[in-house]
Amino acid sequence: MSRIGVFVCHCGENIARTVDCEAVAEALREHPGVAVAEDYKYMCSDPGQALVKKAIEDNNLTGVVIAACSPHMHEKTFRRACDQAGLNQFMCEMANVREHCSWIHDDRGQATDKAIDITRTIVEKVKHNRPLESIHIPVTKRALVIGGGIAGIQAALDIADGGHEVVLIEKEASIGGHMSQLSETFPTLDCSQCILTPRMVEAYQHPNIKLHTWSEVEKVDGYIGNFEVTIRKKARSVNEDLCNGCGDCQAACPAKRIPSEFEAGLGKRTAIYVPFPQAVPNIPVLDRVNCTLFKGRRKGLAKDVCGKCKEACLKAAIDFDTEDTFVTEAVGAIVVATGFKLYDIGRDQPEGLKGYGEYGYGEVPDVIDGLQFERLASASGPTEGAILRPSDGKEPKTVVFVHCVGSRDPEKGISYCSKICCMYNAKHAMLYKHKVHDGRAIAFYMDIRAGGKGYDEFSRRAIEEDGAEYVRGRVSRIFRDGDVVKVWGYDTLSGEQVVIDADMVVLATAMRPQDGIRELAQKLSVSTDEHGFINEAHPKLRPVETNTAGVFVAGACQAPRDIPEAVAMASATGAKVLGLFSADELEREPAVAVVDENTCIGCMRCELVCPYGAIEQREICTVDGHVCGHVAYVNPGVCQGCGTCQAVCLSKSVELQTFTDEQIFSEINALCYWE
Amino acid sequence: MNELHELARTLLTDGTVRVIIGWEDARRGARPAFITDPADTDKLIFDTRCVHNLVTYLNPRRDNVAELGKIGLVVKGCDAKAVAGLLREAQLNRDDIVLIGVRCGGVLEESELAEAVALSAENVAPRCFGCDNREPKLVDHLLGEAQPEPPRPIMTIDERVEALEARPLEERWAFWTEQFSKCVRCYACRQVCPLCVCERCVAEKTRPQWIDSSAHPRGNMSWNITRALHLAGRCVDCGECERFCPVGIPLSLVNRKLQQIVSERYGYTVSDDPENAAPIGDYRLDDKQEFIK
Amino acid sequence: MSDAIDTSGAAADGFEPRITAFVCNWCTYTGADLAGTSRLHMASNVRIIRLPCTGRIDPLFIIKAFERGADGVIVSGCHPADCHYTSGNYHARRRFAVFHDIMEFIGVDPRRMTFSWVSASEGSKWRDVVNEAVTNVRALGPFEAYRALAPKDVGVAAPAGPGAVAAPASAGIKAEAS
Ligand SMILES: Cc1cc2nc3c(=O)[nH]c(=O)nc-3n(C[C@H](O)[C@H](O)[C@H](O)COP(=O)(O)OP(=O)(O)OC[C@H]3O[C@@H](n4cnc5c(N)ncnc54)[C@H](O)[C@@H]3O)c2cc1C
Ligand code: SF4
Ligand code: SF4
Ligand code: SF4
Ligand code: SF4
Ligand code: SF4
Repeated sequence: MSRIGVFVCHCGENIARTVDCEAVAEALREHPGVAVAEDYKYMCSDPGQALVKKAIEDNNLTGVVIAACSPHMHEKTFRRACDQAGLNQFMCEMANVREHCSWIHDDRGQATDKAIDITRTIVEKVKHNRPLESIHIPVTKRALVIGGGIAGIQAALDIADGGHEVVLIEKEASIGGHMSQLSETFPTLDCSQCILTPRMVEAYQHPNIKLHTWSEVEKVDGYIGNFEVTIRKKARSVNEDLCNGCGDCQAACPAKRIPSEFEAGLGKRTAIYVPFPQAVPNIPVLDRVNCTLFKGRRKGLAKDVCGKCKEACLKAAIDFDTEDTFVTEAVGAIVVATGFKLYDIGRDQPEGLKGYGEYGYGEVPDVIDGLQFERLASASGPTEGAILRPSDGKEPKTVVFVHCVGSRDPEKGISYCSKICCMYNAKHAMLYKHKVHDGRAIAFYMDIRAGGKGYDEFSRRAIEEDGAEYVRGRVSRIFRDGDVVKVWGYDTLSGEQVVIDADMVVLATAMRPQDGIRELAQKLSVSTDEHGFINEAHPKLRPVETNTAGVFVAGACQAPRDIPEAVAMASATGAKVLGLFSADELEREPAVAVVDENTCIGCMRCELVCPYGAIEQREICTVDGHVCGHVAYVNPGVCQGCGTCQAVCLSKSVELQTFTDEQIFSEINALCYWE
Repeated sequence: MNELHELARTLLTDGTVRVIIGWEDARRGARPAFITDPADTDKLIFDTRCVHNLVTYLNPRRDNVAELGKIGLVVKGCDAKAVAGLLREAQLNRDDIVLIGVRCGGVLEESELAEAVALSAENVAPRCFGCDNREPKLVDHLLGEAQPEPPRPIMTIDERVEALEARPLEERWAFWTEQFSKCVRCYACRQVCPLCVCERCVAEKTRPQWIDSSAHPRGNMSWNITRALHLAGRCVDCGECERFCPVGIPLSLVNRKLQQIVSERYGYTVSDDPENAAPIGDYRLDDKQEFIK
Repeated sequence: MSDAIDTSGAAADGFEPRITAFVCNWCTYTGADLAGTSRLHMASNVRIIRLPCTGRIDPLFIIKAFERGADGVIVSGCHPADCHYTSGNYHARRRFAVFHDIMEFIGVDPRRMTFSWVSASEGSKWRDVVNEAVTNVRALGPFEAYRALAPKDVGVAAPAGPGAVAAPASAGIKAEAS
């Protein structure tokens, strides 16, 4: 038999002004199953809580109802008090007679009646509460970081410095990401490589970091604290343990005219290559698509037609017959840092995007994108830092920079602002003017968005000190006209048509999520927004968590980000992961669903609707061990307690522990107006 | 018919299946037949009296059927949809069953006739009119000639639903309360439904008891709404519940209304493709929500 | 606008509707809290049952509420795309739609069932939803039709099960209802 204590709070005058608290206590005292009912001025005060505790002890209460404010306000307070008095905290509930009653009504009679109803409902609920224990989940204190750009490197370093092992995987041959391609970085114009390279090396040499380059995530099983990740190590054809990075193979390779990805197509590389001199690790990969030997094999030639690299390698590190291998890593947390790619406006467009054929990108050689400009401006780039245009290698005297190409253009498929382009355009105009003193840098912009420490000053400097000419308006067409690149634009401030004979045009194309992000997101059971950026758990309060517990997000894979932001996010994920690793077990509220194996028929409707993928099929066996069927199983480490499974289960064979059918049924019944 | 006999004989003789479930001629009409002896396969029939949806025997909770061994099942189009339903809900392994599809030209409303008769507006099962699956696709073997369209019944189910909808709310309420009040809670509708395969139906759940168990109008209302809702997007319109209801409640009208709802709202029609995801348990971001403030 | 509504007085014939609201914890419950903190006065006829998510709300709850004498129900949760659990409300929306339509087919006036999305910041929307539901149901009158289904002999007894309930506080209301 239930022995429930009801404690009605006056909340000073806040409740008592409209609700007759004594009458509520009085009415509840008569209610079946209620052992004590008292009212008090401030239940949440120390004496108030003491009163509750004493009543629990004196009356051996089996449940407690606090008729006071919203559970969002003080549920924790009172549950703790009950716990201290030896009553399981989940046997305590709050009846909201303040926000939902005294504050919104003024007729004392009605408000009192309603308060009595509300309290009775909760009493009826509590009769069916069950003592619950927190769930403890063991935590594997190792982390996986996906993506070795600046965000991934930073996250890996922070976690590794915190004393835990990190597995860092990068799909390219080297870590570094886009930052390694940049020349100098806003807002300070310091050399990108110079600040990045030490970090790359540190990550590589860190005793706690295990690096897999040329690798991708194949499969993710498990849940927070207990993930099992299968990593595909793509066939590299070079033995990482033997290779000493001498580069003899590259020198020997006859396939020398392959456009270099690192140089954004402005430079060439060999088929066996290290993407750039500072690459980490400094171990080549063999690009089988472009390799002469593999081309021959694909044609079905009986004998290998090349093999020069293998001959040149004194360490015998090259093996043409390696295959993709798989390694499995057990980790407790995952950080996604797969970064971005630039909107490739010229070529085939994915669904929904319309491209910018009118800008001549991909057709007119002197129309380039921002990353290509970075390579031109980089001291280690194809022109060794001289600004020379791709078509004829001449120094361009007029350069047009176009902002917002692809961004903020919902008509063409992308509504968001890429955020970094205003800044890197200003940077490009400056870098250009620093190198070509007599040149003109003209920028077409929609608005200048330079929010950030020192950012507005930086973009002003481009105009005021370096003389970049900013035209507010959009460009309608770009085409080749003999030796010049014609730019047709519109100056919205003067209302005039503008035509510029440029020598080179730099397009600030939109930042988009990496290819394959949706597939990766699916493997991780995290969601992406309509553009493919990873969704954070809450846009304000949980910006680096995802809706899958234990999976975090950093850098430009979540939204367009610049370096300081990417690094800040990375360190934030580091803090989250270290927080998670600070205890041997994860403690979670028992607000989870549980399947009744006696009645579940394994139809898996529940699995279809669970937002967290918490439900899986499990075989059940007879006593002698024969598999005799299957049922659903809810993983308590993953379930977040929404109860959607329960509502779709036809036979009600899965039950959310904190909102059971019996509790709700009793609440509805308590609202019975019949007797 | 020979085709069916031969196939059944082969399947039984070569051990592909242990039992063929089909229809046979009883004196007063067609009835389900369980053939285990190859010599008996000539008993199998398929004609307009074969109204029963034999998929109900695939219910994994029917141990006595499972004990017979691997099943070969004769299915009409609507029956095949029920098989797809069981597959979709992981109640069946496709490999555990051989499906013998028959091309169907519609069936009678009642099976109890000494001889098969031609279909007419008066005797046709109303659901057959407009049927989209008279040649089942979810089969291992497809038998029989192409059949003509079933005749249009005097009043189609859609017309009956429409006529009911044209009446004011109070009349509809009066209609349904009267109908449901007749319910004796025999659960024949559930027992025969190929998709009501729960180990313990919600109607039998006691803690809490959502649905009053005795046969009175309040519990009956709750039961009948719940049964119908549980079949939303799953009901294959085989008409068995209504045919078995001893008190003649027009269950196919509620079932049809639900089919219309999921079709209008979610573009869903039940098919015999098990890969075709059911509408409840799925969603689109832009699902209609005109009824929500 | 709601302050203009007569939140205290009963309708001319004295009928005051009883409305059970099923709301999610994160949006509507919190929105109702906000209505409280903002002192937005509203009709006192609604009793809230808190659920974690609209995804948890089963049509059986609504049927049971009608069985137990509710004249109307409100079902409310997070707006699409705002669900605390990402997609519980999308699944709920489909179930609600089907339930809403079939109840209307059976002859239940849809105005007795208010479905709404009320976010944690929409205290005033919650007030409006409550007031509008009360006004609608008040105009429709008591849901006698559903109550009439109750077994005559046991018509007023609490249903089987633990915790039989004592007379409701809203005793004044009871009289007119029967
Ligand atoms: C033209 C241009 C100029 C810029 N200039 C500046 C500047 O001056 N200052 C500034 O602050 N910012 C600048 N930025 C922005 C800066 O490049 C980004 O903020 C930064 O690179 C983001 O880092 P990230 O680690 O998030 O992503 P990335 O640098 O894109 O790194 C992501 C890494 O993940 C890897 N990866 C991707 N998918 C997978 C996968 N599935 N599995 C494994 N690995 C994967 C990628 O290969 C890559 O190495 C500029 C950007 C551009 C385009
Ligand atoms: S929906 Fe219910 S019966 Fe089906 S698998 Fe899930 S718990 Fe079991
Ligand atoms: S309660 Fe929600 S999160 Fe938990 S298993 Fe059910 S559907 Fe998944
Ligand atoms: S519904 Fe279609 S398949 Fe089923 S009996 Fe009628 S016509 Fe044949
Ligand atoms: S009515 Fe519902 S709970 Fe009962 S057997 Fe059918 S599907 Fe299962
Ligand atoms: S078959 Fe008819 S009488 Fe029997 S439970 Fe179903 S609806 Fe009621």
